[in-house]
Amino acid sequence: MRTLLPGAATTLALSLLAGCGAAPDTTADGEIRLEFLSLAWQKESVEANKRLVRQWNEDHPGVQVRYVQGSWDSVHDQLLTSFLGGEAPDIIHDDASDLTDFAHGGYLADLTPYLPKRLRDDIPQESWETTSYDEGVYGVPFLQEPRVLIANTKLLKGSGVRLPTAQRPWTWQDFEDISKKLTRDVDGDGRTDTYGVAWAMKEPVAQSVNLALSTGGKVFTKDGDGKNRIRYDTAESSVPELVRRQVNEDRTAPRNGLGMSGSDTLPGFFGGRYAMLPLNFSYRQQVRQQAPEGFGWTVLPMPGDSTGLTQGVAPQTLSVSRDSAHKKAAVDFIAYLNQADHQVELATGDWLLPTSREALKDPAVNTRRYGWRTGVDIAAGLRPSPVLGVLGFAEWKDKIATPAYQEYYNGALGTDELRTRLVADGNRILDRYQR
Amino acid sequence: MSVPSPSRSRSPSLSAPTPPAPGAPGMKGARAMKRTPAKVRALRLAGGAGQYLALACYLIFLGFPLLWLLSTSFKTARELGSLDPAWLPRHPGLDNYRAAFDAQPLLRSALNSLVVACAASLISVTVAVPAAYALARHRSLVGRASSVWILVSQTFPFVLVIIPLFLVLKNLRLIDSIAGLIAVYVVWNLPFSLWMLQGYVKAVPPSLEEAAAIDGAGRVRTLVSVVLPLLAPGLVATLMFSFVTAWNEFFFALVLLKSPENQTMSVILTRFLGAEGVADLGPLAAASVLATIPGLVFFALLQRRLVGGMLAGAVKA
Amino acid sequence: MSVTPSRAGAVPDSRGTPPPRTPAQRRRALGLDRSAWFLLLPALIPVLVLSVGPLLYGAALAFTDAQAVRTSDTRFIGLTNFLDLRFDSLFWDSFGIGLTWSVCVTAGQFALALGLALLLDQNLRLRWLARTLALVPWAMPEVVVGVMWRLVYHSDAGVLNKTLTQLGLLHENHEKIDWLAGLSYALPAAIVVGVWAGMPQTTVVLLAGLQSAPPELREAAQLDGAGVWRRFTAVTWPALKPVAVAITALNFIWNFNSFGLVYVLTRGGPGGQTRLPMLFAYEEAFKYGQFGYAAAMGLVMVAVIAVLLTLFLRAKLKEEAA
Repeated sequence: MRTLLPGAATTLALSLLAGCGAAPDTTADGEIRLEFLSLAWQKESVEANKRLVRQWNEDHPGVQVRYVQGSWDSVHDQLLTSFLGGEAPDIIHDDASDLTDFAHGGYLADLTPYLPKRLRDDIPQESWETTSYDEGVYGVPFLQEPRVLIANTKLLKGSGVRLPTAQRPWTWQDFEDISKKLTRDVDGDGRTDTYGVAWAMKEPVAQSVNLALSTGGKVFTKDGDGKNRIRYDTAESSVPELVRRQVNEDRTAPRNGLGMSGSDTLPGFFGGRYAMLPLNFSYRQQVRQQAPEGFGWTVLPMPGDSTGLTQGVAPQTLSVSRDSAHKKAAVDFIAYLNQADHQVELATGDWLLPTSREALKDPAVNTRRYGWRTGVDIAAGLRPSPVLGVLGFAEWKDKIATPAYQEYYNGALGTDELRTRLVADGNRILDRYQR
Repeated sequence: MSVPSPSRSRSPSLSAPTPPAPGAPGMKGARAMKRTPAKVRALRLAGGAGQYLALACYLIFLGFPLLWLLSTSFKTARELGSLDPAWLPRHPGLDNYRAAFDAQPLLRSALNSLVVACAASLISVTVAVPAAYALARHRSLVGRASSVWILVSQTFPFVLVIIPLFLVLKNLRLIDSIAGLIAVYVVWNLPFSLWMLQGYVKAVPPSLEEAAAIDGAGRVRTLVSVVLPLLAPGLVATLMFSFVTAWNEFFFALVLLKSPENQTMSVILTRFLGAEGVADLGPLAAASVLATIPGLVFFALLQRRLVGGMLAGAVKA
Repeated sequence: MSVTPSRAGAVPDSRGTPPPRTPAQRRRALGLDRSAWFLLLPALIPVLVLSVGPLLYGAALAFTDAQAVRTSDTRFIGLTNFLDLRFDSLFWDSFGIGLTWSVCVTAGQFALALGLALLLDQNLRLRWLARTLALVPWAMPEVVVGVMWRLVYHSDAGVLNKTLTQLGLLHENHEKIDWLAGLSYALPAAIVVGVWAGMPQTTVVLLAGLQSAPPELREAAQLDGAGVWRRFTAVTWPALKPVAVAITALNFIWNFNSFGLVYVLTRGGPGGQTRLPMLFAYEEAFKYGQFGYAAAMGLVMVAVIAVLLTLFLRAKLKEEAA
């Protein structure tokens, strides 16, 4: 777009009117001004962000940060437009899966020269890998969200099964058996009243790919030339096969759950229709807010096989726009937000896990209450989601993988047909991005 | 009849009922007269009841989501997570409204939206009336070009217009400015306004204008005092349309405005939506109710103006 | 292009301008006289800058390989995008979905709006209230409409399934109908929302059309004692027809290009069953960054709609002339 976009202005014969449109990012007395687009979601998190910005502004009169609220729903469009128009905020809150395209597009700054050593060391290498492409680091991964099992305590205890822990998790086989145990027809009318599990598969791709790691799968691999390829063998397909079996054969998971988002499954969970829900960590907030009085619930690790409790995550990130005139100052502010105690505030505000090793030791996230401790226990098994860094992933996901997985889970496709579509059709799309 | 109806001569079917001439309708009328008055009254009563019934069905279909929204806005988070939704909140409270006001600058954004929608609709109608008049009364190249533009502007994917538009506004220094957003809305509402108003202008018999011209009225005066009053229902419909479009518009507002103090209501509403279909339902419903009220008030005020009889009144005057 | 407002204008128009005869008139037919320019100018300048310019620019992108990537230069590639588009079966699928959606929603909107407009045109009690309430969907932002209907359609806790269960059409604990995520339900369910959301606008336009029909005509017919149906076919409909044709044509365009509502409702899912062409173009441009390709889609959409509308309006006008 480089040549074309300025061209537009001239074509439109507006050069006469043209001027430097951007707001001044440095005032006359040398004060630096930064804009911070935040996607904090829960009230507590928004407040924590604003408080930290205020503190920073008080402590750093020379670098003034302005807090701008964005929303997850529309951030990609908003950012893309402002990148193209050269009006992007200096500091950008986003998530790692969105960074791939923006970093590739040349809109984000490589943070390597500016990152303080303390911050680099405090966040584990696996997390840094989620934002590193082509030798550059394009964001600071700061909050992450593993998938967990949220379970109805009463139903679980009633069935007498052993509760899993991070040290002794369920295997997928255990999980399948337990789901059967929990599935019940209470009134004996031949129809299921309680299902063992509800798989919310409105967005099936990220879950299916990220959980493949728990059985040693990968889905996205690099070939000899460093090109991304799609692989869908036994290791990749075993969890999806289990889900399909639960819906179509075991009938331990309801078919209408497949069309739901995570939030959609909650009323059924509270109503006792579903005993367990595989959900992202932050859904605990909704559960706490909406659960009926006296409703007992607990947070369990997802099942795992020989490789331990690994799963893929795409953390939330803080990046700096390449057009920012004050990258050093911007990274200093990011580092400030990521001091362990600050990161804990941001994480707890949005019910997420911090990435900082220091922050993970904080008592606030080590309480058993609301399952915080379960998250900390499985943090060590979190790996970069295989989809990160794959150019063309978004198109593969929308055009190929989402419909294919949906039909597969509904029982309309077999594993072989699914493989053909994901791999053969998928590689064709990836190839277009890797010429 | 004071309005000559040459303008309807193209529809041959119309000529039949216009004069109460002898013929089929008249015969039918005669037959109806012979019926007993009681029967006629009963029929009319049944017809009236049927009309009210039909209207009630429409209002239920159109209105029940608003009721649902209202009821949702008074429910507690717990009730919203219930498997068995009730039409009326079990423990009604204002918590959602409080939370909505706490979380987002609702008043500020409502005010912004109001300014933007009022300005955009008034300006676009003001600009559209003379233009519609010129286009309707003069068939020309410009007229034809404008109709092509009207079609294309409605058809072309707006997503592709956004980026060039962003650049133009940037050069005009109108990014992150309410004035810029108003300008965009005016321009993007114009096609519909022009299209509507042109039709109404054409329905005004030129003989009226000629008469005014003979009386010595200038062109602008003719436009203002003769044509404009006749356009009233069309003006109102157009005004309603531009107001609501501007009030509800989301995408332009999202990408063109940056500062928190400039945001409009529709953008603020999406703040209650999180990633992956998560929504802060109670406060969203509360904010939505508030966002729907101005439009309804606006409608309630304007709908009377849609009432007919204006044409006749103006012609008689 | 026969969608000229002069022919399909919102209100009865048959007078038109007489064909130019004198040289002066002919000259005027090509350009405009000075006072007309003066009337047109306030609209023309902003339109040129903020609409025609960006539109042309957007259209020009269709002949380039423009991407949302700063690191590569944009090149002119002629018709390549259009040639690629020929074989993009997903795009044509979405085109078909767009046509189905657009035809169904437009027809539904029209049929329901006509009935409502006729009712609201009567001298009923509390007419002002009815008129205001009838416009409720219009006053609600698309985001809200989408979220509301998502609640109505919710398979576990939605009012629709609840009502069906109470009526005995669905079993209490049976697996519920998944309106927005079922492969065969999603499009019809979305169409209902489309009709619901777009109806008030059509109603207002039709009502304005009804109101501007000379009351003398209607009174005459009423005095005449003509029956309801007869009055409708003989008086109301002929007067309303041009407005009806016009709003139907416009509605068709709008519906074909509809975006926000379905985006909030389903995001084009499940499995692309509700992926309208505009959603497709949007994803191509904003999610995959393929601006050139998306622009080509846009031009194809413009072309197809123009052809369809021309056919539609020709047929209507011929019918009228006959």
